[in-house]
Amino acid sequence: MPRSTVKFLPDNLTIEVENGTSLLQAAFMAGINIVSSCGGKGTCGACAVAVSAGRPGITCRGNLTSEQIAQGMYLSCQTLVAEDLTIEIPPESRLREHQILTVDRGAALEKTDVDRIGTPELQTDGSEEECLKENEEDLLLKYGQHPLATKVRVRLTEPTLTDNTGDWARLSMELRKILQSGDKPINIPLSVLQTLPKSLRNANWDVSVTLSDLDTAYTVIKVEDGNNCPAYGLAIDIGTTTVIVCLVDLSTGYIVDKQGTFNQQAKYGDDVISRIVYAAESPENTQNIQQLIIDTVNGLIDTILKKQNNIEVATAVVAGNTTMAQLFLGVDPRYIRLEPYIPAMNDIPSVAAREIGLHLLPEGLVHIFPSVASYIGGDIVSGTLVTNMANKEDIVLFIDIGTNGEIVLGNKDWLVSCASSAGPCFEGGGITFGMRAMPGAIERIMIDQATLEVNCKVIDNISPGGICGSGLVDCLAELLNAGIIDRAGNFQLDHPVVSERLKAMPDNKVFVLAWAHQTEGNKDIVITENDVKNIIRAKGAIYAGIRSLLKAVDVEIDMISRIVIAGGFGNYLSINDSVKIGLLPDLSQEKYHYIGNSSVKGARLALLSQNAWHEALELSRKMTYIELSVGTTFMDEFVSAMFLPHTDFLLFPSVKK
Amino acid sequence: MPVTLVKERYTGKVSEVVLGANSEQGGTRTSVITVGGDCTLPFLHFEGKIKNRAVIAMEVNDINPSWNEVTKAGFSGVLDNPAAWAQKCVNEFRADLIYLKFIGADPEGENRSLDDCVRIAKEVLAAVGVPLIICGCDDPEKDNEIIAAVAEACAGENLLLGSAEQDNYKSIVAAAMVHKHNIIARSPLDINICKQLNILINEMGLPLNRIVIDPMIGGLGFGIEYAYSIMERVRLGSLSNDKMLSMPMICTVGYEANRPKEANALTAEFPGWGELEDRVVLWEALTASALLQAGASILLMRNPAAVKLIKTHIADLIAAN
Repeated sequence: MPRSTVKFLPDNLTIEVENGTSLLQAAFMAGINIVSSCGGKGTCGACAVAVSAGRPGITCRGNLTSEQIAQGMYLSCQTLVAEDLTIEIPPESRLREHQILTVDRGAALEKTDVDRIGTPELQTDGSEEECLKENEEDLLLKYGQHPLATKVRVRLTEPTLTDNTGDWARLSMELRKILQSGDKPINIPLSVLQTLPKSLRNANWDVSVTLSDLDTAYTVIKVEDGNNCPAYGLAIDIGTTTVIVCLVDLSTGYIVDKQGTFNQQAKYGDDVISRIVYAAESPENTQNIQQLIIDTVNGLIDTILKKQNNIEVATAVVAGNTTMAQLFLGVDPRYIRLEPYIPAMNDIPSVAAREIGLHLLPEGLVHIFPSVASYIGGDIVSGTLVTNMANKEDIVLFIDIGTNGEIVLGNKDWLVSCASSAGPCFEGGGITFGMRAMPGAIERIMIDQATLEVNCKVIDNISPGGICGSGLVDCLAELLNAGIIDRAGNFQLDHPVVSERLKAMPDNKVFVLAWAHQTEGNKDIVITENDVKNIIRAKGAIYAGIRSLLKAVDVEIDMISRIVIAGGFGNYLSINDSVKIGLLPDLSQEKYHYIGNSSVKGARLALLSQNAWHEALELSRKMTYIELSVGTTFMDEFVSAMFLPHTDFLLFPSVKK
Repeated sequence: MPVTLVKERYTGKVSEVVLGANSEQGGTRTSVITVGGDCTLPFLHFEGKIKNRAVIAMEVNDINPSWNEVTKAGFSGVLDNPAAWAQKCVNEFRADLIYLKFIGADPEGENRSLDDCVRIAKEVLAAVGVPLIICGCDDPEKDNEIIAAVAEACAGENLLLGSAEQDNYKSIVAAAMVHKHNIIARSPLDINICKQLNILINEMGLPLNRIVIDPMIGGLGFGIEYAYSIMERVRLGSLSNDKMLSMPMICTVGYEANRPKEANALTAEFPGWGELEDRVVLWEALTASALLQAGASILLMRNPAAVKLIKTHIADLIAAN
């Protein structure tokens, strides 16, 4: 294959690739991440780039508008390198990196804003460390701190001609004393044993030993010169869209560092289905997509380790949905997608880091949260653990709003769960100007009913680039309030107030939220009728999921004593507006609690407490999964929820007509 | 052995809608019709009151329709004259109402002008004394214009105007509000959309007792069971006091029953199916009688023989009280 060079602007990066490579692929090879929601199928139009020099080979222009085509825009996934090219990548086509909100942003909100959800800790004061601690310390106390790995200092007596016990026996005997391990065996893997003699003698018989600590046995994972550094562990949340890694000091329980980024697998699609389809195409693909997530996690680990003076990590607990867990281990995921939707495993064996190439100590164990079903994964088990709902009499409803809306209901005697395919719209997907909750996202909107003028609040108060989930909830409630849409989501172009903001475009009706001159991309930020209908579908799916679950166990909504919301978008969620549009049940605000990224919190808890880890394993077995695609309940509920707030007003007594 | 009937007690009832207006009420009708008001499931006289009997509106078109010859035979000589056609329906076939449909206004077809539509509506009003139901040609934009024009020209007559749909309800509702008529709210065999549309219409300010539900139906053998179950749910909704579902229902029996092959194939083609003359009548009559049992209050019908059968049938069902 002949090769050509591709130059990317404004980065000014040049790369040589084989002809026939897609621009998307070439950009990725150059280290530039382009948004590719559909996974390179040419259908989403998110990856548009401009070709400023050279003639590319085009396979299709997808849904680019005639205007974009006239401006020389191409779909990077459908455009192939045929000769030397210069490509310009517009900001909106770029996957913004390192802007994942690892901090619970509730802390940044105005304290007077009682309408918001926020844990009291968040609103009173302080850093995220404190919030996390306060949130979980109670649970940690309850379960008892007993981490999944430990580190001990061992001073051995030097062998002599008369004291001639072997090295390993000498060490293990001493360990047994220190650990008071009783009958529990202490194992040593071959790789550690191979260098043990040298390690002991180099350290002059004063060593620090790191061990993984499980019910069944201790395993030595590292022997080094004696020191008093603590053992470290990682709490890892692998989301379909974002990945978060926390470094935890296992002796104190503190989070020492926290990093987040996008899941690199996103280039094979925004949703799990596209990724399963890609992975199932060939064993190489499965391996490739596994490598991408390992690379993503390793990238974050490396960043943390560099900052922390090259400490070493003894163990990790990973929480992710069922698909992510399987892809993380390179397990063929294809049957998750096909009826009857069966995952390869629910309980997942712990693996040594070296087996998957994770940057921990090679023999350090990686524990992965078990899943309940194909669409209720370890992330939800982890979240359920944090809610502590399985230990109380009160009935709790736990909702994790991400790409899927996963819902768990129950108390100490029973737990049911379901997954409602809400779609990525509250994370910004499928919305014309949707974006994740990151700096530049409109998170709050007010529309003046008399003038239809708009007042936006943007994260970090910079010029807006799009609108995030909480902004969309607000937006819908305000559009309805102002009479710009009717209860079915239809735009009312004959609105009594004449405003330039409300207009019909050739293929859609739009309402302008921010004018081009106010924005980052110099383009009007609008919400379209299609966007509104998408949001109605998404909120309908979540509400229908809640109703279906309640019906399945015949529980009335007011029997619920606490509603716990998790998810990236929940940080800013206005309960009032959520109820107004029928996303959340009409219950008093006091019943709502927000726990942020529950998945990573649960992972940290499990890392620090064996009892918590056992409880998680127990939870996954206890939880009953209800498949919503069976029977007609969900569909009936879904259709009646496709209205603002709902076809049945009786369910929303507080929403005034 | 004596049998004790188990009676259901309902908290709600079907709301009543009045169609037409006599000279005292500001119109020119000689008969005014009230539909709805039922307090129980259809014809369960022992359980609750059936206040108003179901009525039949006979279909009249503004152009000579493309119906089969058997059906047309009953109207020979009047099919090109809507006023005379309507007169025949009322005088000869005892239609309770006239259902005037402006097929000819279709922009794809004859594209009849608004003035023409208004003129025809007025001629029909002058020719008969029964209340009128006015529908357009199922082209949303043209329908909005026709209905607005007719509603204005016939202000005071308390017409039933059709049809408001979820994607196109505003102008027709506005016309009904301004000129004080009633409207048909049409939803595609979907109880949720049915209710949502009623809410949307009501939120514009039209009182609930000015709305009639067209649940859309399938004819006999073509999905009538779907229609039956949706209508039953609507009726149960109204009986359980769901105000947004408590309107009387109207069914396009003539249109749906005359669509299938079974109502059109010549006897020679399918001798085993029996005479077309009988088949046409029975297909429409059976469709109508099933929907009566599902709770229909207004039947839109075509064939005079079928109308005759159903009139007797309704009378029998009421007399059973």
